[in-house]
Amino acid sequence: MNAIAVRPAMSFARIGFLNMLAYRARYYVGVLTYLFNVAVYYFIWRAVFRHSPTVVGMTLPQMITYVAVGWTIRSFYFNEIDRDIAGQVQEGRLAMNLIRPVNFQTVMVFDAAGQSAFRAALFTLPIGIVIALLFPVQPPASIAALLMFLVSAVVSFFLVAALNFLVGLIAIRTKSILGILRAKYLVLEVLSGLIIPTTLFPQPFRSILFASPFPHINYTPAALYLGKVTGAEAGRLLFLQAAWTVLLLGLGQIVWRRSQHRITIQGG
Amino acid sequence: MAQGSGVRRHARLFGLYFSQYAKARLEYRADFFSAVIASFLGTAASFAFLLIVFSRVPAVRGWKFEEMVFLYGFSLIPVGIFNVFSWNLWMFADRYLIEGRFDRVLLRPVSSVFQVLFESFRLESIESIVTGIVAVLWASRRLRLSFDFGDVLLFTIWATAGGVIYIAIFLGLTATSFWIEDRIGISPPVFNLMQFGRYPLTIYDAWVRFALSFVIPFAFASFYPTARFLHRIEFGKEFWAVPLVAAISLSIALALWKSGVARYHSTGS
Repeated sequence: MNAIAVRPAMSFARIGFLNMLAYRARYYVGVLTYLFNVAVYYFIWRAVFRHSPTVVGMTLPQMITYVAVGWTIRSFYFNEIDRDIAGQVQEGRLAMNLIRPVNFQTVMVFDAAGQSAFRAALFTLPIGIVIALLFPVQPPASIAALLMFLVSAVVSFFLVAALNFLVGLIAIRTKSILGILRAKYLVLEVLSGLIIPTTLFPQPFRSILFASPFPHINYTPAALYLGKVTGAEAGRLLFLQAAWTVLLLGLGQIVWRRSQHRITIQGG
Repeated sequence: MAQGSGVRRHARLFGLYFSQYAKARLEYRADFFSAVIASFLGTAASFAFLLIVFSRVPAVRGWKFEEMVFLYGFSLIPVGIFNVFSWNLWMFADRYLIEGRFDRVLLRPVSSVFQVLFESFRLESIESIVTGIVAVLWASRRLRLSFDFGDVLLFTIWATAGGVIYIAIFLGLTATSFWIEDRIGISPPVFNLMQFGRYPLTIYDAWVRFALSFVIPFAFASFYPTARFLHRIEFGKEFWAVPLVAAISLSIALALWKSGVARYHSTGS
């Protein structure tokens, strides 16, 4: 991206940031939601581990850490680009984005980036601290693991943004947009490794999943944090994560260019 | 006279609301079926955790895999009932209070709860009920459970009572929108707590079990109703209390709603 494109992108990021500040009541509700999610899986895993000391090479404290790290970074990489696109189409606001001299995908991704940057400081960090205080969460495996985890978590944001942009564009071609988005939300929780560590899937599902972009959303950063993957393997996963992100962002551009011609603007 | 004919009138209105909505929805048949498939994928995804994790371990706290499938499958039935009927509750604060549609509701000579609940349905969630029944039948076969007519009747009533408990809890939470002015409200974190009730209660700490039974009675909507069918006599008392809990929850929710409506003042203009 050249310097001319960066400046408007930063402005959109700033606006996204300010938008989030406006809804304070939701903040506490959001924190509680994440705590409950971690709590459910904490109890379930505790019960499972009662019968076997390790599951796919993970001990109970590691599994709890996997769950905790997963939900914590989800609070950061999560965005609603798909819902936002759907809303713009339904309310006829999409026209505004057609006349702007900035690329639509850039606007959407950086608007979400502004919100995620805001959440990282004021939402993800407190959630992570509270979870670490309430549940037996382990520190990162090493300094290198921590650094790779942080990089990977940021890439996760762009990967999710690229996916949501695509899903949003596909969903607006149907009439049951919200149904599709709800299904995507639940399916992605499973395929990303957030709810089930990807290595736990039976074959051939495991191999199929690892050949897809989905585990890179959550499994990759969490596995890096735990030191489950190190060295060349860690490098390979990080590369794949970045490659999928670039590929899906590119695909989003193509689909957007194609759907521009199909869009009928609603309203007078 | 008002009471009796009131119930009959509401029942007739319900039929009209439902058939009208179903007709409109089925007009776009392809779209409806894609919604059903999307809904099924969501159900399958939430089921996947149980299938993948628990098929690997022989038993968890004395619960066999098939028993857990029975429990989870059963829970899909009240969850399905809840999703079909309570779809409008999620948008209540936004559509009715903030956008001001509630004024129109109050002008009509029909109970406001009734109108808000039944103005739209999530028909595709019937899929969840079907999936739940299939899972229960599969688990029952594997566990060699036999059902006579009385059991089927009990099962049906208890599953419905479970649905009523879910609806009552979220109706009560939605009613708080009359006091807390926010689009989203306080339902989402409680919604996530629903998952707790879909696993054997015995895996939790005592305070969680207490909270799920007496604070937010999700356990009465999914766990306790299965106790009798899975021959867990230790939960017999709670099993028979299920319809009572449903009635109490609904009364509390309706009372909350009523005092919320009394407090309601329009958004104006």
